[in-house]
Amino acid sequence: MTEQINRTFHRDILCRLGLVFFLVAPCRAETGGDLTDETALRADARKVFKGKVDPFVNKYCVKCHGSRAKAGINLQSALKNPNGESAALYWKKAAANVKVHDMPPEDASKFPSDEERRQFIDSVGKIKYLASRDPGPFVIRRLTKTEYANTLRDLYGVDESIAESLPEEVGGEGFLNSVSPLQSELFLGIANQVIEQVVAEEGQVPPAVQKRLFGKPPAQGSDLRKEARRVARSLARNAYRRPSSEAELDVLVDVYDLARNNELNHSAALGLMLKAVLVSPQFLFITPAGEPDSKEKIVLLDDHQLASRMSYLLWSAPPDAELAALADQGKLHKPDVLKTQVKRLLKDARSRALFDGFGAQWLRVNELDGQVFDPKTFPQMTPALRAAMMEEARLFFESIVRENQIVARFVDSDYTFLNEPLAKVYGLKQSVRGSKMRRVKLENPNRGGILGMPAVLAATSFPNRTSPVRRGVWVLEQVLGDRVPPPPPDIPELEEQDHKEVEGLTLRQRTELHQSEATCRNCHKVLDPIGFGLENFDAIGRWREKDDEGLAIDSAGKLSNGKGFSSPAELKGLLARRETDLARNLTERLMAYALGRQLEGYDQIVVDRLLTEVAKDKYRVRSIIVEVITSYLFTHRRI
Amino acid sequence: MTAINNLSLVDRRSWLKGAGLSLALPFMHSLGLSAGAKSAKPPVRLAFMYMPHGVIMDQFWPKNQENFLNSPPSIIKSLQPVLDQCLMMKGISGVPTSPFNGAPHALELSTWLTARLPDASSRGRINIAISADQIMANYVGAHTSLPSLELATMPQTWKENQEGLHEGYYSYCSYRSPTQPVPAEIDPRNVLNRLFGKRGEDGRVTQTNPLDRQMLDRVLGGARDLRRTLAKTDQQKLDEYLHSVRSVERRIAAIEYRQQEAALEKAGVGPSKRHATDSAPIEVKIPEGDKRSEYMQVMCDLTILAFQTDTTRVSTYVGSRPNGASYPELGFTDQHHSQTHYGKDQEKIRKVAEINKFNVDQYAYMVKKMHALKEGEGTLLDNCIMMWGSGLEDGNKHRRDNLPFILAGKGGGALKTGRFLTDVKGNQGDLLTTLLSCVGVPLDRPIGIATKQISQIKT
Repeated sequence: MTEQINRTFHRDILCRLGLVFFLVAPCRAETGGDLTDETALRADARKVFKGKVDPFVNKYCVKCHGSRAKAGINLQSALKNPNGESAALYWKKAAANVKVHDMPPEDASKFPSDEERRQFIDSVGKIKYLASRDPGPFVIRRLTKTEYANTLRDLYGVDESIAESLPEEVGGEGFLNSVSPLQSELFLGIANQVIEQVVAEEGQVPPAVQKRLFGKPPAQGSDLRKEARRVARSLARNAYRRPSSEAELDVLVDVYDLARNNELNHSAALGLMLKAVLVSPQFLFITPAGEPDSKEKIVLLDDHQLASRMSYLLWSAPPDAELAALADQGKLHKPDVLKTQVKRLLKDARSRALFDGFGAQWLRVNELDGQVFDPKTFPQMTPALRAAMMEEARLFFESIVRENQIVARFVDSDYTFLNEPLAKVYGLKQSVRGSKMRRVKLENPNRGGILGMPAVLAATSFPNRTSPVRRGVWVLEQVLGDRVPPPPPDIPELEEQDHKEVEGLTLRQRTELHQSEATCRNCHKVLDPIGFGLENFDAIGRWREKDDEGLAIDSAGKLSNGKGFSSPAELKGLLARRETDLARNLTERLMAYALGRQLEGYDQIVVDRLLTEVAKDKYRVRSIIVEVITSYLFTHRRI
Repeated sequence: MTAINNLSLVDRRSWLKGAGLSLALPFMHSLGLSAGAKSAKPPVRLAFMYMPHGVIMDQFWPKNQENFLNSPPSIIKSLQPVLDQCLMMKGISGVPTSPFNGAPHALELSTWLTARLPDASSRGRINIAISADQIMANYVGAHTSLPSLELATMPQTWKENQEGLHEGYYSYCSYRSPTQPVPAEIDPRNVLNRLFGKRGEDGRVTQTNPLDRQMLDRVLGGARDLRRTLAKTDQQKLDEYLHSVRSVERRIAAIEYRQQEAALEKAGVGPSKRHATDSAPIEVKIPEGDKRSEYMQVMCDLTILAFQTDTTRVSTYVGSRPNGASYPELGFTDQHHSQTHYGKDQEKIRKVAEINKFNVDQYAYMVKKMHALKEGEGTLLDNCIMMWGSGLEDGNKHRRDNLPFILAGKGGGALKTGRFLTDVKGNQGDLLTTLLSCVGVPLDRPIGIATKQISQIKT
């Protein structure tokens, strides 16, 4: 058993980490300026790039990382297009490897001096200033499954479960939500179900929603086609989330005519028209209201598109009447109006979508639901308890957003949300009864904040035990925004540990044996202390003094910056003080999520400036969200 | 691509306005209903079934030809009654993974039918290559109401991006184009409904709404105006959707045609496409519980039924996705992936071998059933090629030198079965290229890294 754990553990490391361990911290910004600053910085960056980066790369790197592109890194192409899509990744890797003296490799013929290395790394940090002002590509996308379901709910009063049969999206850049030939009928099928619920059959009493959508039955002798056009206009305004063109209305009236010519009565014909609306790309995609009339390459989003972009980001649902009205009046893009609207949307219950879509992914608790736990070891890990754990994470996230708390509160706070089963996991003596979640003040400094939160602790564990390595990686990547690289090729097998040799050793001591391997040491010395700092929490987040083998837990350690801690509480304290890193990580992730793409080039400049702004008030979280939505990147598009 | 889509959009519209019935024509033609239908050979079909993480090699590969037929290794034991209908070949290598060595499991699935690496300069997006099943669908898809069938056992949403690769590479093995993955359906009920029409509570197939097709046609027409106002990249996104709307339109037409055909046949005035000796379409029952074997078998049944009724001619079934999956039915809850890094751990080796056997058993269920169904002069299996395999040779060290594959069926006479070839020299692109040639799909270029065909497997 020991050996088995050990090997699994080692694999765990091997699969997550590289032979060469490096942490890439994004280069810190020193900007805070306007366009003149930008021009000056760009000029400086050009000089530095030509004077420092170009010669360094040509002298030490291109032999292997030119057209040969060893390890997939082509610095020659990065020199040509320093802010290109893959260039950012190449630069990051290059700087990181040069920094830890892994590059140039041992068998190289020339080596840079320490001063050359320092200058190279500094200069790489300035490459972003070469980028010109650009909001990046903004490709139209289809509504996600959740957005689609919520839209049908908000507009037609149907239950969200109506869209259950749609395939799950694969996340990542721009969401992949294509459908297979077999699935292409789904949208039509769901539209049919909506019509069945919304439109009464002939002779039956129409439901309220039908009256709302189609208006009163037309008076005897009125012009039904004219009536149909009026209904089409109103249906399309809500479903397309913008005023429709006359040509778009022609299509819908054409469908109405088709139905009438096939002997359908007026309301059934309107039903077919509504069905056409629901399978139209204008409904399924967020599309601009028309061609922009300017010759500009970059334009401000039209107010309707801005309203949709914002409401789908914060609510995963279409704009409500107030947002739609502001868009109709052309007022939404005004900064003070936009700010007020962000705050209003965040107060609304629908803004739970921001946690479901973004927060859960950021904290990596989104797969907790499907995660396997050994029922023998953790019989208490019921679906109800898992749901409570997720709820805790959500309510905590929302409280920080809505109360506009500082970003450090994510890591270090003195309250959380619990119900009875979850309070048991916390080992609370005070009485929390029933299944309802409520806000609870915490006295124990080891708890409070995402590091001591069961959803996180469980999501980073194995079915039957903790994984200090996963937890270490989680803290570095999800909390501090560092990058932990993937493993290199051909990882050597670790010597199998002798049963007798490891007997009586704690998991920590056994793991530390790995540090005797040169290839593992670099990784372990950074990851282990953080992961083991959380070892007092078991695989489902309960506090413990002894590990699975009954040996005392040693949770003392040091961060890579040399600062020491001896308990989860102290680790929490140390991390909470790194508010600049916390804020940058959160902002970059949120910005990428809001834009639906990876950040590159000019984006970094915008993020830097945004951070300088929110730093003035200790990085308040709602303020960060407001700044992201009102940013140049979110409100503009490249044509 | 864009230009073609646009063109067909225009054509479709004017064409439809001309003649309401003409939409049925291509099907009538393709179903062989014109003159001489009865003597027509059954179509050749191709199916792929996937298992991740490789096999325990000494329990998978036969020692030699004699051992293959008479005392097959434990993992493939369940195939014994039909091994004379099968073909195994050792020596098919995978796509070399550099520069993505850190992403073995995303690659094992995404390269499986593409035989190509993702584009290294746009890792954050899906950009790989059209897959073999979709190449076939492009060629024969117009002959059936469904161009291709994509199935999976579990949701395809593994969230991890190694080497900066889009997480979709963990989830998809079928790609309609380099940038367009095809998601698989996981609900057998949905498959049944959509393959053969929704059944009402009385068990009868619900009629499709005849106006829907014409309504969709008008929506497509309207989309042309929208398309004009969009940027080029936006147009491509839109086209993906319009493509699917067009395929719905086609499916409705096909179902209408089938109903018409059935009515004619019933009235004794239409020719029957089926031979009198053909087995009747199999009965598919959706299981009530959540037993994995029953679930996988119903997916196999649906594939059989789709082939038997010529509803599609190419099918891909991701029997299990990389990572994440566990096998409670086998009596252990460990994740497949964590067991495959077994080192010298006998317990893990045993578990992986059991998982391998379990997967092959389901494949064997399908193949044996197909061999028992008559079609034309022989069996259904005779006219199909059913490929089972994995994207890794061995999950322990992520090797890809001898990828495990099993082929079953003669592909209408193109494959010479009942053999174990010990030393085939080729790669997975070569194999896919050969298989497409066996089912009669002409290729204008080899698939992925292919350089040749593996002629030894052919007759």
